[in-house]
Amino acid sequence: MNDNLHIFESLKHYPLTIQFVWALSCLFFIFIILLTIYLKYLRSHLRVNEKKEAKYQEVYESHLVTYLYAGNDNEVFSSEQQVIINELKKDVADPFKRKIIISTLLKLRSEISGEIGESIDKLYIKLGLLRYSLAKLRNKKWDVIATGIRELTQFKIKAVHKMVLNNINHPKREVRKEMQLYLVHLYGFNGLEFLNVLETPLSEWDQIQLLEILQLNNDTQVADIKPWLNSSNDSIVIFALKLAKVYNQFEAKEELITLLNHNSEDVRINVISALSHLHLFEATTILKNNFSERSEEEQIAFLKMMENVYEASDKPFLLEHVHHKNSEIRLSIMEILKNINFEEYTLYDDDIKKILTA
Amino acid sequence: MSTIKKIVLAEDNSVLSLLLKFRLEKEGYKLLIAVNGKQAIELIEEYNPELILTDIMMPFVSGLEVISHVRNKLNLQTPIIVFSSAGQEEIVIKAFDLGATDFMSKPFSPHELVIRIKRLLL
Amino acid sequence: MSIIPYFFLVFSVVAIASYVILAIISAVETIEYMKKNSFINYKEILSSTFSPSISIIAPAYNESLNIVENVRSLLSSHYVNYDVIIVNDGSKDDSLSKLIKAYDLIQIDYLINEQIKTKPLRSGIYKSTNPAFDKLTVVDKKNGGKADALNMGLNISKSKYVACIDVDCLLLEDALQKLIKPFLETTDAKVIAAGGVIRIANSCTVKDGKLLDINFPKTWLEQGQILEYLRAFLLGRMAWSRLNGLLVISGAFGLFDKKIAIKVGGYDTNTVGEDMEIIVRMRRYMEDEKQKYKVAYIPDPLCWTEAPDNYKTFISQRNRWTRGTIETLKKHRKIGFNPKYKSLGLISYPYWLFFERLAPIIEVAGIIYFGILIFLDEVRWDYAFAFIIMAYLFSVLFSIVAIVSEELTYHQYKKKSIGLKLVMIAFLEPFVNHPTILYSAIRGNIDYYFYKKIEWGEMTRKGMTKA
Repeated sequence: MNDNLHIFESLKHYPLTIQFVWALSCLFFIFIILLTIYLKYLRSHLRVNEKKEAKYQEVYESHLVTYLYAGNDNEVFSSEQQVIINELKKDVADPFKRKIIISTLLKLRSEISGEIGESIDKLYIKLGLLRYSLAKLRNKKWDVIATGIRELTQFKIKAVHKMVLNNINHPKREVRKEMQLYLVHLYGFNGLEFLNVLETPLSEWDQIQLLEILQLNNDTQVADIKPWLNSSNDSIVIFALKLAKVYNQFEAKEELITLLNHNSEDVRINVISALSHLHLFEATTILKNNFSERSEEEQIAFLKMMENVYEASDKPFLLEHVHHKNSEIRLSIMEILKNINFEEYTLYDDDIKKILTA
Repeated sequence: MSTIKKIVLAEDNSVLSLLLKFRLEKEGYKLLIAVNGKQAIELIEEYNPELILTDIMMPFVSGLEVISHVRNKLNLQTPIIVFSSAGQEEIVIKAFDLGATDFMSKPFSPHELVIRIKRLLL
Repeated sequence: MSIIPYFFLVFSVVAIASYVILAIISAVETIEYMKKNSFINYKEILSSTFSPSISIIAPAYNESLNIVENVRSLLSSHYVNYDVIIVNDGSKDDSLSKLIKAYDLIQIDYLINEQIKTKPLRSGIYKSTNPAFDKLTVVDKKNGGKADALNMGLNISKSKYVACIDVDCLLLEDALQKLIKPFLETTDAKVIAAGGVIRIANSCTVKDGKLLDINFPKTWLEQGQILEYLRAFLLGRMAWSRLNGLLVISGAFGLFDKKIAIKVGGYDTNTVGEDMEIIVRMRRYMEDEKQKYKVAYIPDPLCWTEAPDNYKTFISQRNRWTRGTIETLKKHRKIGFNPKYKSLGLISYPYWLFFERLAPIIEVAGIIYFGILIFLDEVRWDYAFAFIIMAYLFSVLFSIVAIVSEELTYHQYKKKSIGLKLVMIAFLEPFVNHPTILYSAIRGNIDYYFYKKIEWGEMTRKGMTKA
């Protein structure tokens, strides 16, 4: 006791700076101890959870598979299925187990279509999981709302359409995006109506996701893309161009050709790509004619397309530009010439090497 | 006594393989499950199955390599059904070029798969 | 004379303050990132025909021991629209013949668009006859160094983006999807390069190109490096990315916009820090062009690589990093403190100059000064003792914060006693690794200024532990 007082007494005699520094050191030391204890607790907690999760996952996986094949031919749930439903329902109340159940259902749902897929959807509703997903929609935290919408998307719940739409102007981009994906996933092309009013840019990531979902739907009724081609939102125009390419929208021919003179170079490059894909002869002629006025990027895009759809009649045009100052363009032209006319190409061999390394 | 037909399934989604195993074993087939391409090849070499089901996208040894190995190195004519997410044209063509027998894009209907399997194993 | 201690004091305080600020920003950004990506299904992007093309370029020099396995691992990435270009940089061993045999390669004619001057080809360009390997291109060229090999890859690639990778880096299956996301998601700026987290694979079990078991290495040297990487990646890089001040993307794995990389002239073959130098040059180019841009960083672990496990290789590596930093900062000194370059010149450059490049020198100077004071018997032991203890405890605390952050985010080291070992190395590192790092930095400075021409250095490949 005396010793401690002694140290404390002598400490008081030190200048303020040193006292302050020692105080900091003590603070740091306390934090180190606390964090180390927390670390130990955290690690063992995570380890235990993982083991639990793995165990439950196995259990639920086998329940799910048994359930799916224990059905009757009629709509009613068989007694065997009812047993499984009751067991799972008990676990659904526990958030930890609920999470695993949902993820197990999802793991299978994304790979399976047809009757069995619908069976999983029905199970989702029967287990009362729908209520929990809807509850997420009313949560204040954006990531919870987004997760809720995603669950509704994956289990194809159409009935709550209106509730999801409430989020159309949610301040967080991620929520709006989940909502858009929900609409497209469930309603195919009709779900794309939000494009008519979208003011924020549609990133390439978004566009790719939308295109993939549309392809999954096998919708034969393609939407009218013309209004989107005229959108003031450049990213929507680009998205519409991608749609034109994938779904062979010849009807939009006129609009596409007009777009060759759009303000944005990015749009123009995408138009060239779409037009080339559609093999529109008028377009190729127009592009060949004003080739020199176009930016290098557009020229490269055009030639890249031409590498796949060239014709012998393109030869004079190509020869005209064979000495272009951009090496990538020269190379492209060489490739196409090579394919058009193999014999003449070998005559050009040395010239080509000179041109390329010029 | 007819021998039980063996099927090797290379699929890393545990629920899906459980589902398929359940269904196919009900139909009377024996299922051998591999979680990656290398394991699939090992099972094929050891058990010489009557049918091979494989996902294209697998760690280390891809589905395409499995097909190539079976057709070119092992010289087997075992029917191979390939599945992949939202079939990319290029990959489908490559799979058939290498000698795949049939192709199903995910998500797929297990009923449909079973029908095709039965047809191939007649 | 009495301002000298104040100089060291101010320097330390600013350094500590910067670490704390960066750590806080990193933590906030990482939480934001994890929330945003908790429900992303990366599978959606992997099979799309609209996902942009990526070329993985991997230079290889005398990697014969593992090259076939490494290439196979690179070929099994889950991205669809990509290809792999292996550049055999004049290896003296049988790398090429091993590859030819394993992948049924034949030589082909290929028109190279030589946009960047490189050393010429040696035996040519090879592709496989087996369609299962049609993503693979192997280039055999005359030796020119890593930068030169990467440039050859840039010339050959026909993709929009290039991923430059060390050939022995174990790439995780979804690494490309995750790393391409910033390029596709950002609408208000052009992303020119992106990097992620590199993890240390020493003592980990790798089988069939897949990471099976994550173990903690045995030596203090390796353990210390893991701690160092955790601090740098979890509590540093994310913040710099947010401030758009990231000057370096790990040379082990990074994704670049190919057009811009070529526009700035590719990698510089005259520097040993080519990974940092090209980022600075690309940033400078975008600033000069007055285009809004970003160098992105994601906190996800993307690839696992081998770290030096002996002092000789470690010192040589850190020596090289030091020289690389000096060379890059010197080459681009024009942007330093230049308001024309906004945050690049006014924040990033000065920070790197003081706290990365000069810090080791200042620290050693401080130690020497302290030594002189001891000799002259002028040390105020009460002050010195207090400060030394505080500095030490701060560094331990900082490391432990990094360890806890790792547990809260990716929790990769699951095995039982690793937590304790990490805490122990946090206490030991200032005595074990840190002096070595200081030593290599000083050597690096000496080597640089006395113009010793040192090669990149060969790390003897031990191979990752096989199952």
